[in-house]
Amino acid sequence: MMIRVLALALLVGLLIAPFVVAEERYIEVSGKTFSYTPGVIKVNEGDVVTIRLTSEDVHHGLFLDGYEVQTKAHPGQDGVITFVADKPGRFTFRCSVTCGEFHPYMVGHLYVEPNSPFNGYAALAVLVALGSLIVMAREGNGDKPAKDKLFGLIDLDWRFDLTSFKPIRTLFKSRWFPLGAILVNLLFFFALLLSMFVGGYSAGNYNVGVMFVWILWWVMLMFILVPFFARTWCMVCPFPLFSDWYHRGAVIEVKPGKQSGLNKPWPKSLKNMWVMNFLFLGTTFFSGFMTVKPLASFILLGAVILASFIVGLVYKKRSFCLYMCPVSGFQALYSQFAMSEIRCKDPEICKGHTPKTCFVGSEEGHGCPWLLTPFDFKKNTYCGMCLECFKTCPHDNMAFNLRPPGVDLLVETKREKRGLDEAWKGFIMLGIAVVFFIIYQGPYGELKDMMRATTYSGFLTFIAIHSTVSLIALPAVFGVFAYLSKLASGNREVSLKRVFVNFSYTLVPMGLGVWIAFSLGILLPNGSYLLHVISDPFAWGWNLLGTANFPWTPVFTDVMGYLQGAVLIVFQLFCIAFGYRLSKQTYPESSEARRGWLPMLCFLTLATLGFLKLFLG
Amino acid sequence: MEIREMIAVIIVLISTVGVVAAILGAESYRSSAYTVDLIARAPERGNWQPRHVTVPVGEKVTMRIRNVDTVSHGFALPAFDVAVPEIKAGHVKVIEFTPDRKGTFPFMCTVWCSNHHMDMTGELTVE
Repeated sequence: MMIRVLALALLVGLLIAPFVVAEERYIEVSGKTFSYTPGVIKVNEGDVVTIRLTSEDVHHGLFLDGYEVQTKAHPGQDGVITFVADKPGRFTFRCSVTCGEFHPYMVGHLYVEPNSPFNGYAALAVLVALGSLIVMAREGNGDKPAKDKLFGLIDLDWRFDLTSFKPIRTLFKSRWFPLGAILVNLLFFFALLLSMFVGGYSAGNYNVGVMFVWILWWVMLMFILVPFFARTWCMVCPFPLFSDWYHRGAVIEVKPGKQSGLNKPWPKSLKNMWVMNFLFLGTTFFSGFMTVKPLASFILLGAVILASFIVGLVYKKRSFCLYMCPVSGFQALYSQFAMSEIRCKDPEICKGHTPKTCFVGSEEGHGCPWLLTPFDFKKNTYCGMCLECFKTCPHDNMAFNLRPPGVDLLVETKREKRGLDEAWKGFIMLGIAVVFFIIYQGPYGELKDMMRATTYSGFLTFIAIHSTVSLIALPAVFGVFAYLSKLASGNREVSLKRVFVNFSYTLVPMGLGVWIAFSLGILLPNGSYLLHVISDPFAWGWNLLGTANFPWTPVFTDVMGYLQGAVLIVFQLFCIAFGYRLSKQTYPESSEARRGWLPMLCFLTLATLGFLKLFLG
Repeated sequence: MEIREMIAVIIVLISTVGVVAAILGAESYRSSAYTVDLIARAPERGNWQPRHVTVPVGEKVTMRIRNVDTVSHGFALPAFDVAVPEIKAGHVKVIEFTPDRKGTFPFMCTVWCSNHHMDMTGELTVE
């Protein structure tokens, strides 16, 4: 009886749902640097919504993503927009008049309910997880395939050597490459530094240095450079040029003999990511200044160049790049996922070759500046792709391979061990993404005030919360699931640390997906500023390309949530594909591996749902 | 030193000192066309700079107004009927006028740019 009543109620509900009468909604929104009150508005699909915008301090605007309507308000002069809420989902409304340094972060959220994009993606994430279990069960029953194929499609051993094209190999063997690219980069970089310096305290969204570094460069790293080409940024990075010049006594030539400087080896206990982890986290404390104030970016980049030179006076070769550069750490970790690699072609040739010129150097080039052994390293992590080994190898035995994504996540060798440092790098990257999204792209003015340090206590609270999330909270939650995995597997031999560390490499595809989704939220609304700043880079009234007066124009923000959801689902697939393989590496028995995988699958699915909630829900 | 090394060193110099000198040089040549260079900031961040401008009577004034602030400003010089309704943050406007009488005249910001907006004023002296 009860069931029948419920079923009837459900049926009636479904029938009348489309006929719910559209309401007229009138909402007053007041803008004050840098938030709206209310910051969150909820309406139902089909409602006729009128928003009246008032300003409490300066000239503000309100642009609504997806509906592309906007209005502006001065103090005492209100603006009104009316629209039919016919598209469901969560939409960001943002200030459209530069109202102060945090202007690009002045946003609010409009929910047009039911939030079907979020519901759809959440259901998809759960289906993906359940589907993966079916695939796993079928794989377990059948014969083992001869080759390990990603998604059953791409052979993980597949490689294509780009340098099999003669012109590319010739280019890689030339001493002008990548030096030529570094020098061009250096030129642009000094121009950007100048713009940040003369830009001083002006609006970051109208400064070419700030826009190029934090919109273009950062987004390019996350979208293209790291996932496809590993550490190619390190290949062309101009920062270590001066230290290299000092060490080598020449910019391009290779001089025989000892390098200048003290040439001390980096301390053994610090040959990992810990220093970079803390330096990077520490740098993000000040992102509320660096991404909005040209002078703050100038100080940061200047400090990095200076530090790379000073560290170079004391320590060997590229010690700074390897173990200190703040942006080196995540490139190192995420390049394990990258679709390219530099490796030796035939280890047999290397075996018979002494001395190993790739390590000690020759007349053609320097011994590996990144202190790797090019003849046998197996992971991208610490390879800066400087291409010296292509020059020093007399047998042309080095290759620049294209490969399937994620390969290095499954690699562990005696000298290239997995470790807690890399696990924490993964947590820190995820933690930063969560905190940054909530503060920068969320509707909470108080948090923005904390981040931009309107009060010292607020700023310190932000630092405390931010550090706790990345360093303690996320690892603790992950640790619980790792423990459950060990319990579920029934294996008592393997240590909890090994379970924890091994599975932490699933955070690499997860982190990349989250950062790509995050970057979409920065690039699509704000990318159009680039057209202005590239034409008038120093705010002197130049108009190099004729686009100096191009107005702020958000692009594709109507589909942004769909794109972010799709990115998260794609990377959830990678997480599952590699997570299960990691489980098989962790637990020797396949039945253990399957049982031990279930808690981690739960974690990854919950995490994906959490990020969907963050970006769409 | 080998020729190749010399070329590389020269390119390094061009890419560092050279590019900065070239940009600053080009700008100082270009900006010599302006008789008055005015920077707009809200009063608490520096106000008009300079706040007192002196120009000769009867000669055409080419005034560059740079808004290097984080909010929009406006410019009005009522005595000579000159106004720019809005100069967005990071933007630059150039205005021209010929002052035809002597005296000291006020100019001011015309966009509500801060709580101290009403103090964002300056003076133009025509001699």
